[in-house]
Amino acid sequence: MSLPAPADQDLLRTLAPQVLAALLRRHAGAFDACEDAVQEALLAAAEQWPRDGRPDNPRGWLVTVASRRLVDLVRSDRARREREERLFLATPQSELLGRPADADPDADRDDSLALLFLCCHPALTAPSRIALTLRAVGGLSTAQIAAAFLVPEATMAQRISRAKQTIRGSGLPFALPGPAEADGRLREVLQVLYLVFNEGYTATAGDGLTAPALSDEAIRLTRLLHRLLPRDAEVMGLLALMLLTDARRPARTGPDGGLVPLAEQDRGRWDAAAIAEGTALVERALPAGRVGPYQLQAAIAALHDEAPDVAATDWPQILALYDLLLRVAPGPVPALNRVVALAEVRGPAAALKELDALAGELDRNHRYHAVRGELLLRTGDAPAATAAFRRGAALAPSLPERRHLTERARRLARTGPDA
Amino acid sequence: MKYLLMTYGNQEKWDSLPAEGWTEAIAQQDAFNKRYQESGELIGAYGLGDAAACRMVGREDGLPVVSDGPYLETKEYMASFYLLDVDSEQRALEIAADMPWADREPVELWPILHEAK
Repeated sequence: MSLPAPADQDLLRTLAPQVLAALLRRHAGAFDACEDAVQEALLAAAEQWPRDGRPDNPRGWLVTVASRRLVDLVRSDRARREREERLFLATPQSELLGRPADADPDADRDDSLALLFLCCHPALTAPSRIALTLRAVGGLSTAQIAAAFLVPEATMAQRISRAKQTIRGSGLPFALPGPAEADGRLREVLQVLYLVFNEGYTATAGDGLTAPALSDEAIRLTRLLHRLLPRDAEVMGLLALMLLTDARRPARTGPDGGLVPLAEQDRGRWDAAAIAEGTALVERALPAGRVGPYQLQAAIAALHDEAPDVAATDWPQILALYDLLLRVAPGPVPALNRVVALAEVRGPAAALKELDALAGELDRNHRYHAVRGELLLRTGDAPAATAAFRRGAALAPSLPERRHLTERARRLARTGPDA
Repeated sequence: MKYLLMTYGNQEKWDSLPAEGWTEAIAQQDAFNKRYQESGELIGAYGLGDAAACRMVGREDGLPVVSDGPYLETKEYMASFYLLDVDSEQRALEIAADMPWADREPVELWPILHEAK
């Protein structure tokens, strides 16, 4: 198989959820067969378009090929799924192939959204939601998703197949959730997209075509969601948070691959365009509606990104935003972040006092010990700070973080508190 | 996040188990493996040979030097290991506790920090 040109690849991935939605609109009960058919149509396009040229109506081409493939799939499964076949064949072929899929763009917009809600349904496990969203909405192949998460393709195929079984088995609807549950379901979708983003942000970026960068993919899908729900303030908030966080990526690792903490990053290397876009989104989101956790985290990220250095950061404002965040989304991790801001506003001793209250919940969290180390160091207790950094290093969930904290402890033990 | 789950034992322990229980024990372990392979959380399950089969390999003057292992002198040695990929530490703990023998022999669970691409 020849690799598609990048332009084709982008277009295919944009069209993937629309084509799947077009099939599902007619065969909502056959999610797994529709999804397989769309994947095969994408593969066929990736093979044929570079050779024969891109068709005039790429989306119609994909819908036609996928629909034919769906007929084949259902027929070949005759023995196993006779009941589905009866349902399927009861659908007039003209209904399936005749109607141009792009006749009603508004309906398709809603369908992409319904597809996203279905893939992020709470009846599915979190890893299944992620895998299915990346495949069905993101248009990635199982092999690409497996490469991005560094698991064997067979393992990823199991997650996708299990998710599809759950959808089939429990009859999850291909429809937008009703008003009563819409808010909660949208939160689930946002959470899946944020998990994908974080996975990409903490892992090393993949090598393009074979292992797509998950943070880029998360931003792309959140942009899609923002296009579908342009007035939702939390969707804006999440997109802003991703952009404002991702903007720091170029400065986040040093030349040796080591972690560079926010305070020491070369802010000239931050992505100014992403910061401008993220900041504009927060400014639109905050007055637009109910304030939610993503908007608040984005607002905090924007204050960091706007500051020329740590000293010039608007810490009182950040502290106020953390107070608000803890009210809408209480939890030990935002509480820990609030302590960092508190130290800048009211000094390390006051912050340490509040940090102690989190010891029970965060004793096995490496960042808790890292923050504690920094605060102890500022109060002049270098031996206790060294011990805290060592404890943090022992609990770190990734190698760069462990190296960073080990190095912090080592320098301090060797040269004293001025290191 | 990925975890390494390990079980330990020695020949003496295996010998003490009645032979008629083995089929059932193996069936239980197979069912565990299947369950978590199907959920997409078990990447692989591997059983190790006896400690007597373990060799230590070093290099001197560019040439391999092989001697009998194991390196550590302990009462029990690693018997099998399982590679998990789960969405939380909590989930890894649940799966570890579901190991068929976990009611008699605790298993070890190690977080994996890094893997080569």
